[in-house]
Amino acid sequence: MSSREPLIRLENISKSFGKVQANRNVTLEIIEGKILALLGENGAGKSTLMSILAGQMLPDAGTIYLGGKPVQFSTTEKAISAGIGMVYQHFKLVDAMSVAENVFLGQKSGFWLKKKKMARVVEQLAGQYGMKVDPGARISDLSMGERQQVEILKLLHRKSTVLIFDEPTAVLTPNEAENLFATMKIMVKKGKGIVFISHKLEEVMTVADNIAILRRGEIVDKVAASDVSSTAELAERMVGREVLLQVDKEPVEPRQIVLRLKKLSGPGLKKINLELRQGEILALVGVAGNGQKPLVEAICGLSKPPPDTVTILGMEWRKFFRKAEWDNALSYIPEDRQGLATCQGLDLLDNFLLTTRGGFTKGPWLQKELAREKASYLIKEFDIRPPDPAIFAWQLSGGNLQKMVLAREFFRKPRLIVAEQPTQGLDIAATEDVWNLLLKAREQAGILLVTGDLNEAFVLSDRIGVMYNGKIVETFDTDNKEKLDRIPQMMAGLAVA
Amino acid sequence: MEIITIIIPLLAAAVQSGTPILYATLGEIITEKSGVLNLGVEGAMIIGALAGFIVSRYTGSPVLGFFAAGIAGSFATSIHGVVCLWFQGNQVVSGLALTILGAGLANYLGTSYVGLSAPGFSPVAVPLLSSIPVLGPIFFNHDILVYISYCIPPVMCLFFTSTRFGLGLRAAGEYPAAATAAGLNVLAYRWFGILVGGFLMGLGGAYLSLAYTHLWTTNLTGGRGWIAVALVIFAFWRPGRAVLGAYLFGSVMALQLRLQALGTQLPSSILLMLPYVLTVFVLVMSSWRKKTNEEPAALGVNVEPAD
Repeated sequence: MSSREPLIRLENISKSFGKVQANRNVTLEIIEGKILALLGENGAGKSTLMSILAGQMLPDAGTIYLGGKPVQFSTTEKAISAGIGMVYQHFKLVDAMSVAENVFLGQKSGFWLKKKKMARVVEQLAGQYGMKVDPGARISDLSMGERQQVEILKLLHRKSTVLIFDEPTAVLTPNEAENLFATMKIMVKKGKGIVFISHKLEEVMTVADNIAILRRGEIVDKVAASDVSSTAELAERMVGREVLLQVDKEPVEPRQIVLRLKKLSGPGLKKINLELRQGEILALVGVAGNGQKPLVEAICGLSKPPPDTVTILGMEWRKFFRKAEWDNALSYIPEDRQGLATCQGLDLLDNFLLTTRGGFTKGPWLQKELAREKASYLIKEFDIRPPDPAIFAWQLSGGNLQKMVLAREFFRKPRLIVAEQPTQGLDIAATEDVWNLLLKAREQAGILLVTGDLNEAFVLSDRIGVMYNGKIVETFDTDNKEKLDRIPQMMAGLAVA
Repeated sequence: MEIITIIIPLLAAAVQSGTPILYATLGEIITEKSGVLNLGVEGAMIIGALAGFIVSRYTGSPVLGFFAAGIAGSFATSIHGVVCLWFQGNQVVSGLALTILGAGLANYLGTSYVGLSAPGFSPVAVPLLSSIPVLGPIFFNHDILVYISYCIPPVMCLFFTSTRFGLGLRAAGEYPAAATAAGLNVLAYRWFGILVGGFLMGLGGAYLSLAYTHLWTTNLTGGRGWIAVALVIFAFWRPGRAVLGAYLFGSVMALQLRLQALGTQLPSSILLMLPYVLTVFVLVMSSWRKKTNEEPAALGVNVEPAD
């Protein structure tokens, strides 16, 4: 490594939100002419770290050095003028304006906009970096890849020296991703420093010079890409294997099949076969974005699968959702507990009734008193704090809100439960509670547990299925030691059948 | 030939009745372009009308009155700015409140002036231009305020499309997050939109009290502010089309007056209703043509101030 001063040096950056520590003593260097990949699972703290660098928030502790001098990015403008540019996952482009107008937005370039000159500048800049965009085109007419190019052009036109790409390939086609990588390589050749945030291992291996792995807010590893022998090695470093918690798991005899997927295909899904029995937990693991979301949506009725591919409780999908009772059927515990699972502005009683109202109706009337009794009992039973059904959902902490969702869903005595990242963002105590609740529910139900946390899968599941690229690579029993060791390979798509 | 002698004065009257609506519509366009929905046009107009009237009456200078009206209009809409930009209040409610407040305030403060007159603007024929056949008498035989209103739409167009600040203002109304990411102060642009918009609405009001009539009466604006709100949609937020819309309304209003004067069989209340029927019609038509993607995407969406 050269002895030159890095463009940016982050030293001992820490940031916490309430009880959750998003970043802990992170030290990173962004070097001129190098692509640094920041690798980590969802919630590992990548985005927080980059928001700090982009001036969107201040760290609780730690210093940012710009060319050796300590700086404070208290606003985005300060970070921008220091040469830090961010390509956001959600593009910050004005749809109703042209490419050139977006590039020049906010630029100090005199009172009048000179359309022809603007177009020429944009075209030249794009050409220099191997991009091709029509400066006069309206953003709303462009593809995602083209829009991203406009974002990049904005930063280049501002002469940003450090470019941060936040999961840039998530919205791109493979072809567009190739082009992006080519552009990134040109940029570093021209002396820019790049931070590339991703959880896609192959991409990181392809483009990065250096790799930093972030787990639970800490940098657990820093390696040169040339020193990494395989994507499997990266995967293992990324997910980690340490066991933090152990809960007792009583064996339960699996009974009838509650969910059967037969050659389920669709957007992001390729011929998925799966069977789930009452009394078992099947954990689906994999790097996020490999088909977990569309799979869950198809099972839970959020998107329509092709006929005869999904059978729930012995009924074809359409028949099931036409006839589904509120109880003894399907419960869905979404990842987005503040959006999909609850209404933030309703009190706990109303939130409780969201999915259980079928049990508390008499003609057109809701039997609120009866429901309140039941909800109060559950709140006590599940130890939800503060114990008051009149409190609003937004007043609960993440852990208590999740317990409230579980209480509500288990009250329905489901025979099939789909739980998506049920402990994401929860502290250790809440995680333990949720795990115990899921294990208890397993006695009555088959549980499909979609998780990015391998440890969670090992602790809870009876069987594990690994997803990669819209497929289930392999399914095996959780006590199959040999297969467990190969999970990282499978997650990286290096399946050995 | 007789038809011309009827039509030309009618169209000239249309321009005159359309002018206050044009001012107000342009004011609302610049406000909405910055992302703020201001339903208080009517309130800002009538406050402007009264301020203009009083200042003109006491100073004897209609020009001073005209500017005072603009400033009063900005002052009125600044209430909307405080509510929506500082306190993130609901823009619809705040706008409605401004309308009610404006009408109430103007009627209360103006009670003692009802029926009184003030020095105002009189028609001045533009040399040369006014002698053009047909167009001359229609467009160039008015008071100076009408001529000023001719200049605003092109200036506004140029501002929106060809200046750095216009670009920033549009970005504030389309996608504030993008504007912020580009280092722009969205709230400052929105303040600009609200205040300049209020100034124009005030001028629209002043036109009614200083040029259209030289009198003060209660409810002088008579719903023209609401017509302006509707016209913004009809105009697809474009100043050029606002001219067309304003004169269309102006001609219906002028026609309605003529018909009343002619003593038709139609009851006058039906005739008085015509402009408002046209408003509903225009709104339905413009929504039906579904060209509403012209609407600023973040219209009515509040923006949190940066710390």
